[in-house]
Amino acid sequence: MAATPIPLEAKGIKKRFGDHEVLKGISLQAHKGDVITLIGASGSGKSTFLRCMNLLEQPDEGELIVHNEAINFRTTKQGREPADWKQVERIRAKLSMVFQNFNLWSHMTLLENVIEAPVHVLGKPRKQAIDEARALLDRVGLLDRADYYPTQMSGGQQQRGAIARALAMDPEVMLFDEPTSALDPELVGDVLQVMRGLADEGRTMILVTHEIAFARDVSSQVIYLHQGVVEESGTPADVLDNPRSERLRQFLAPKH
Amino acid sequence: MEQLNGWFTDLLSDNTIFTANTLGFYWGGFVTTVQLVFLSLVIGMILAVPLAIGRGSKRRWIKLPIYAYTYVFRGTPLLIQLYLVYYGVVFFEGIQDSIFWVVFKQAFFPALIAFTLNTAAYTTEIFHGAIKNTAKGEIEAARAYGMSRKLMMRRIILPSAFRRALPAYGNEVIFMLHASAVASVVTIMDLTGAAYYVYARFYAPFDAFIFVALIYLCLTFGIMFVFRKLEKRLLAHLRPRGA
Repeated sequence: MAATPIPLEAKGIKKRFGDHEVLKGISLQAHKGDVITLIGASGSGKSTFLRCMNLLEQPDEGELIVHNEAINFRTTKQGREPADWKQVERIRAKLSMVFQNFNLWSHMTLLENVIEAPVHVLGKPRKQAIDEARALLDRVGLLDRADYYPTQMSGGQQQRGAIARALAMDPEVMLFDEPTSALDPELVGDVLQVMRGLADEGRTMILVTHEIAFARDVSSQVIYLHQGVVEESGTPADVLDNPRSERLRQFLAPKH
Repeated sequence: MEQLNGWFTDLLSDNTIFTANTLGFYWGGFVTTVQLVFLSLVIGMILAVPLAIGRGSKRRWIKLPIYAYTYVFRGTPLLIQLYLVYYGVVFFEGIQDSIFWVVFKQAFFPALIAFTLNTAAYTTEIFHGAIKNTAKGEIEAARAYGMSRKLMMRRIILPSAFRRALPAYGNEVIFMLHASAVASVVTIMDLTGAAYYVYARFYAPFDAFIFVALIYLCLTFGIMFVFRKLEKRLLAHLRPRGA
């Protein structure tokens, strides 16, 4: 049977910082069109796990397979590291990340931010990249901000710009690391709306968020992490509406 | 206007100091100073970019020698460095017999070397600081989008660091212009050397040195103007829209 390649698979990811074991063996499979949401208290390891997927953090143990290609590791005196950084760069280009603090390149205009990686990493012709970038900026409602620098835009605009930058790579999987946590409440809606659009069109997404209502709406799978282990995992209905553990029930209980 | 013109002609016809001859000296000094400062700044900048990158290296055998170099050249007076290079050049075995002697026997080249090494040391530290201050998140984004170290340096880190370094580097350029006055002590006829000559010849210290001070002021003004323009263009991303 000719299986369609799985966009991203992580098996038994472990990660420690010093004496503290942050991830104690976490696995995940993102099939095409999946929207997987990672929830959990701060310090549960959800962001670290997400950052292991594109190797911004090096997992100490475990396997990563992106589109049927397993990442090669080697062990040195300092610990485990990727054996082939060219491979890592190639794989990172397939996994766009959207950050909590947007991390747009401040010396470039929004348009330059969006075309930067397509032109210089993927080698796209500049003109084509600009045309595509304009279409993407139009889609996130920022075409009139194309010539603005990041500091000249609101947080919500910057984050939507960052999503356009991520989309410009036409990624296998999009990784969202608490994309709305740094935003003023009134700006969250616009960003979530753009993300909902992406989920609806079948983008494969892995998302760390505190927006439980949004997770319930868009996720195909919700994973609840606690102290570096998967405590519960399943459909939003299973995990969010019928939590089995007391801890998750407390986590989901409305704060006052 | 007519009156002003007359007053000016009188002033000039009355003076015995600023003749075509002495003005020629000042002009020669002007050319020498500009050449010396410009060349040392350009070469110093070319040296400083790789040095600044190496200065931030994790490897101690790369960063320590660079740190030692910048420490020595920032920690000693430029005049002493100039003396050491000027008098030290002849101690290189056989240099007086080599073709290099044609250039090194003139004071200009030892001075150029000393100035270059001095400004390169300062510029290295300025760039190093600017590189170190690159926003961590922007570096992370570059890595996350598949950039190699080299590409990230070229496209993200250096362009943003140069912009941050611009105001401090503008000061370094002005500092270098003024520091270049020490070139006159090793027989170079730069602006200060020309002024000293005019002073000695006519024993007119105020005329000679105030005139040269005005020339330095004009040069400084020009440098400030250029950097103002550069900052306006390159630091647009730090200003509110349309400001």
